[in-house]
Amino acid sequence: MANRVYEVMYIVDPDTPAERVNKLNAAVAKVVEKEGGKVVKMEDMGRRPLAYPIEKKTEGHYVLFEIEGTGSEIAELERRMRVNDMIIRYITIRVDEDRKRAEKLRSKREKRQAIRGRFRQTNEEAAIDSAADAAV
Amino acid sequence: MAEDTKELLDSDEGLDLGDEQFIDKMPRRYQRRRPRQSVPDYIDWKDVDFLKQFIPERGKIMPRRISGISAKDQRRIATAIKRARIMALLPFVQD
Repeated sequence: MANRVYEVMYIVDPDTPAERVNKLNAAVAKVVEKEGGKVVKMEDMGRRPLAYPIEKKTEGHYVLFEIEGTGSEIAELERRMRVNDMIIRYITIRVDEDRKRAEKLRSKREKRQAIRGRFRQTNEEAAIDSAADAAV
Repeated sequence: MAEDTKELLDSDEGLDLGDEQFIDKMPRRYQRRRPRQSVPDYIDWKDVDFLKQFIPERGKIMPRRISGISAKDQRRIATAIKRARIMALLPFVQD
C-alpha cells in the first residue's frame, strides 16, 4: 500500500509546563512509530495567540508533525488526542496528493519553458544566418 | 446607427453619455474583473500571511468576483482558509 503523508497539528493548553509538552510530543512520536508510521518532521511552533478564544484561552502552544504511514497510526493518534486533556484542538490533513499535484504542475511548466527556450534559440540562429547572408 | 452603438459599447465613455435611449439598449456593464492572479501550485493552509490576502476586514472569504482567481484555485484557497480557521490561525468572524 502506497504510503501517505499527513500533517498533524495540535494546540496544547498554554498552562502546561514546557517539559510536559516535550513529553507529550515524545509520546506522540512513540505512538506513530509503534503503529508502523514514520515521523518525517517535528516542529514545536511555540506559543502563539489564538484568532479566537478556545476554552477561555487566548493563547496556545502549537506543535506540528509530519507523518508518513498507512493511516492506521493516524486513527490511533486521533483517538488519543481526543481524550487528552492537554490538547485543546487538533487537525490532521493528508498532504501527499496535493503535493504530487503541485509537483506535476511545476514539471509541466518547466517542460513548456524548455520548449519555448528551444524556439528562441532557433530564432537566434536564424538571425545569425541572415547576418551572415548580409555580410556576403 | 448600428456602428455608432457598437463604438459606444467598446469605448469606456459609453456610460457617461446622457442619451437615455441608448442606456436602455445597452447591456449592463459590469465592472471589469481584476486580472487573473497567479496562485502557487501548493497552497499551504499554515501560511497565514498568504491566506490573509483573501480575507477582508470582516474575516470572510473574498468572493471570486473580487479576488479574480480561477474557480479551481478559489476552492483550494477556501479549503485552506477553513482549515486554518479550525486551528485558530484565522478568525471565523472579526469585529
